[in-house]
Amino acid sequence: MFEYELPDVGEGVAEGEIVVWHAEPGDHVTEDEVLAEVETDKAVVDLPAPVDGVVAELRADPGDMVPVGDVVVLIDTEADDKDTVDTEADDGSPSAGDTTDTTGAKTAPDTGDTTDAIEGATGQVAENGAAGQVAENGAVEGEVSTASGRVFAPPHVRRVARELGVDIDRVDGSGPGGRLTEADVRATAESGGEETDTVTDSGGDGAAAGVEPGQTAATQENGQHRSAVTPTGTADGTTTDAGAADRDRTLAAPATRGVARELDVDIDEVPTERHRDDEAFVEPEDVRAYAEAQQAAQTADADTASAPAETGSTQTESAVEPVTATAGTETAATTGTETTEADTRTEPYRGIRRTIGDQMAESAFTAPHASHHDTARAGGLVDARERLKQQAEAAGVHLTYMPFVMKAVAAVLPEYPAMNAELDEEAGEIRYHDRYHIGVAVATDAGLMVPVVEDVDRKGLLEVAAEVNDLVERARGRDLAPEELQGSTFTITNFGAIGGEYATPILNHPETGILGLGELTQRPVVESGEVVAAHTLPLSVSIDHRVVDGAVSAGFCNDLKTYLDDPIHLLL
Amino acid sequence: MVVGDVTTGTDVLVIGGGPGGYVAAIRAAQLGRDVTVVEMDDYGGSCLNHGCIPSKALISVSGLAHRAGEAERMGVYAEPAVDMSAMVGWKDQIVNRLTKGVESLCERAGATLMTGRAEFAGDGEVRVVKAGDGQGSETVSFEHAIVATGSRPVEIPGFGFDGEHVLSSRDALALESVPDRLLIVGAGYIGMELATVFQKVGSDVTVIEQLDGVLPGYEADVTDVVHDRVESLGVDFHFQQTAREWEATDDGLLVWTDSEAEGRAEKRFEADRCLVAVGRQPVTDTLNLAAVDVETDERGFIETDDQARTSVDSVFAVGDVAGEPMLAHKAFAEGEVAAEVIAGEPAALDHQAIPAAVFTDPEIGTVGMTADEAAEAGFDPAVGEMPLRASGRALTLDEREGFVRIVADGETGFVLGGQIVGPEASELVAELALAVEMGATLEDVASTVHVHPTLSEAVHEAAKGARGASIHY
Ligand SMILES: Cc1cc2nc3c(=O)[nH]c(=O)nc-3n(C[C@H](O)[C@H](O)[C@H](O)COP(=O)(O)OP(=O)(O)OC[C@H]3O[C@@H](n4cnc5c(N)ncnc54)[C@H](O)[C@@H]3O)c2cc1C
Repeated sequence: MFEYELPDVGEGVAEGEIVVWHAEPGDHVTEDEVLAEVETDKAVVDLPAPVDGVVAELRADPGDMVPVGDVVVLIDTEADDKDTVDTEADDGSPSAGDTTDTTGAKTAPDTGDTTDAIEGATGQVAENGAAGQVAENGAVEGEVSTASGRVFAPPHVRRVARELGVDIDRVDGSGPGGRLTEADVRATAESGGEETDTVTDSGGDGAAAGVEPGQTAATQENGQHRSAVTPTGTADGTTTDAGAADRDRTLAAPATRGVARELDVDIDEVPTERHRDDEAFVEPEDVRAYAEAQQAAQTADADTASAPAETGSTQTESAVEPVTATAGTETAATTGTETTEADTRTEPYRGIRRTIGDQMAESAFTAPHASHHDTARAGGLVDARERLKQQAEAAGVHLTYMPFVMKAVAAVLPEYPAMNAELDEEAGEIRYHDRYHIGVAVATDAGLMVPVVEDVDRKGLLEVAAEVNDLVERARGRDLAPEELQGSTFTITNFGAIGGEYATPILNHPETGILGLGELTQRPVVESGEVVAAHTLPLSVSIDHRVVDGAVSAGFCNDLKTYLDDPIHLLL
Repeated sequence: MVVGDVTTGTDVLVIGGGPGGYVAAIRAAQLGRDVTVVEMDDYGGSCLNHGCIPSKALISVSGLAHRAGEAERMGVYAEPAVDMSAMVGWKDQIVNRLTKGVESLCERAGATLMTGRAEFAGDGEVRVVKAGDGQGSETVSFEHAIVATGSRPVEIPGFGFDGEHVLSSRDALALESVPDRLLIVGAGYIGMELATVFQKVGSDVTVIEQLDGVLPGYEADVTDVVHDRVESLGVDFHFQQTAREWEATDDGLLVWTDSEAEGRAEKRFEADRCLVAVGRQPVTDTLNLAAVDVETDERGFIETDDQARTSVDSVFAVGDVAGEPMLAHKAFAEGEVAAEVIAGEPAALDHQAIPAAVFTDPEIGTVGMTADEAAEAGFDPAVGEMPLRASGRALTLDEREGFVRIVADGETGFVLGGQIVGPEASELVAELALAVEMGATLEDVASTVHVHPTLSEAVHEAAKGARGASIHY
């Protein structure tokens, strides 16, 4: 058995987040085949298999932060195909080739396609079989996805599953006949994708889940907790769990009403956190849970002849406003979350988003920012690009305005060394950089990244252009090496590509200057007393005011304007 | 923050302004993307200009004329005269209105419309070739492209469309006069729809078909109803006949067919015009696909995954060009998904079923599994059927043929599919489609109160029937 430890996938990173596994237990992998994608500080890297073998166990789930050196996967290097087949057999899954087996039909993927069906009996089942999960929950799954692996779930539920990255085949359905509800999917997502007891774990089904047979632990816990909080409300212990509602109107599928009638339950009394079109919506399991809870409550009530009317009113309240009415109890906490969840989507704050956030916070709360806004005439810039575009194209380089601006910045910065510097507070030193490495902020699907073009002052326009294009493209493909995102001494951000004139850029800490570009477009300007249309480029400069004075940034802008209005100055 | 790109270029380039393309464009623009649509012909694609809408317009109006002349037993005496060019003019007005509507929807959503033929010019770029001499071309760079170039009618060897003797469905929908004798090659849905139209406005229609029945792909008891009705209108059917060659005559053409079943005996058909409707094929030859590595399958369809993505990450394909079923509503659904995926939303094509309709007389509407398919998939199907002759509403419409069938899983009651043949089947199938998609059970459908008297009660009754609890039948 090969124990594969998470290697240092970046330069000196301490930990990585598993983004996605490309292999599952039971999969045959060959050396260098990609096992997983791991996200570090700022880049996503592939994790290659170190050896040939069969994946025996994944030790981390997508989303887990794993310290470098921890074992992430066990690979059985001895295993051959025969072993895989054995594993299947152990789990009672159909063995390869046994396509006519009825069980086979049940677990086969959801297409009638013969090729797929055969695959289902070999590769696919092997995967699941070894995971051990199918074996455990086989019965449950059979219930949800009936013949041919079909899952019965309305479209919006399928969408939520995709959004949460939940494999819908693995969700336990609580609706009529095992139909999946949104709550089922959310429950599975919260419990980390394991279907066992999902309903209880998540609290997504609130009181309903708590009273299902075999899941009494949750009920008891709730009960105890609650009686501790409200020692006087003796009858409360179980009755509030059932929490009879008192609505005039309840939405429910006809089949659900059938269940209510069968169990002799008034559907308007069944508590639920679900809503459709602002009306309470009840599912069969809510009805069943309520019916059972009521029975339990009756037994409990037998000892204490306390006024049901009084409890009744509290119950109504708690059904309507779970957060205020039962705040402090465990149920309240869970249901409270669920209510919010209905209108708000939550996602973990981590990975690249978190890195950006941390850096923004550090910058904003360390360096007192000051901004300076001005507008450059850009007629010369537009001409210059127009004239050079064809030639650049011929050289295979798509020429945008950005390289011009970068060259201009690199030309102006030497006059304003404080803006190409950093403050080392601990050492009590200001460090002035002699090199001009310019970071270019790029919006990617995952968030902001700032790849760096080094020594812009020493490179030709085309060279800068080619480098920027390449970096931007790879940033979007999340294909940058960590070192390509480090070492800038000054940063440019081009929010104007999206539109707008001015902004207040946050410094790329610990740099002392950042330039934001507005949209380059024609605007009215006054020329010899007349308003005319001219190309202008709005500039927004932010500085670390501890190191840079306002006059310095104003001077920087003025000089920059000269270059942008007529890039011929770059020749000097 | 887009950096290094203050140039002309677009986030999402949509090639083709048909149902797949325009929906993708509108959705992508709604989601805040910068969208450019390129269309070489008319916005609305086949569907609005030469397909769904024109054919349905002529189906309605020919139906109206026919019914008016056949209503004597209901006490109405009329001898309607039809003016084909006025009919086509009316249809054109509808088409115009709708295509203008599509353009303005795209523009209102913020998409830029371009006219010209788009062809890939390399990674992330297309050249848009303008029609007309000296119009030149323009290069547009894109982050994502959505190919929605649709399909065109298949030609059979020797029967090139000439708009005069040999017509495509597009030509047939623009005829200015009613041909006395119309020969139709192909008894698929387009052939059958147009056979109905022309027979009803007075043509003598003959249909030849290579296979041994109409509407291949549908169950026999469904197609029988349509076959019988169309035949009773006077359409002459010849099965297992393959059109081989034709020759122009003074007043039309002669078409020879042969048939393996009849020992290659040659048959001869005389007609004024011949409509060839033997299927449609994807359009990829306008695109210079070779410039990108987009893969096609053996039939020429662009291969896509469940997010409409092709073998090239930045290129998506939707609609007819992306494979069967070649239906406008499938194109709509795919267009939306492609746009949402590009915008980073968790969309996917995971529909349980795509419904289909044939607008013959009477109509056919189907969705999901047939009973056989359900059994094959491992279900123990529960089937309920309601014949329309037991429907009060059908009788008041003077219709008695057809039925509604619902197929469900016998164990859980989940509705798996349904087949409807009868008036308004194309509308009725929507309820079954919703049931299939929602995971509704027979009990859910049976316990939903339906308006009386309507055809939809037949769906209700079929659901009850499948549970062994019919009331009205
Ligand atoms: C007679 C008939 C009746 C029909 N009836 C129905 C019906 O009742 N219901 C139904 O669902 N479907 C029906 N269809 C099918 C329906 O029309 C198609 O499924 C639908 O139009 C497909 O949409 P699409 O966007 O994929 O392609 P299309 O509608 O074919 O649009 C593709 C567009 O792309 C343009 N294009 C192609 N190449 C380029 C290029 N390189 N650059 C720029 N533009 C390009 C074309 O000009 C065209 O406008 C019918 C079709 C026909 C012919």
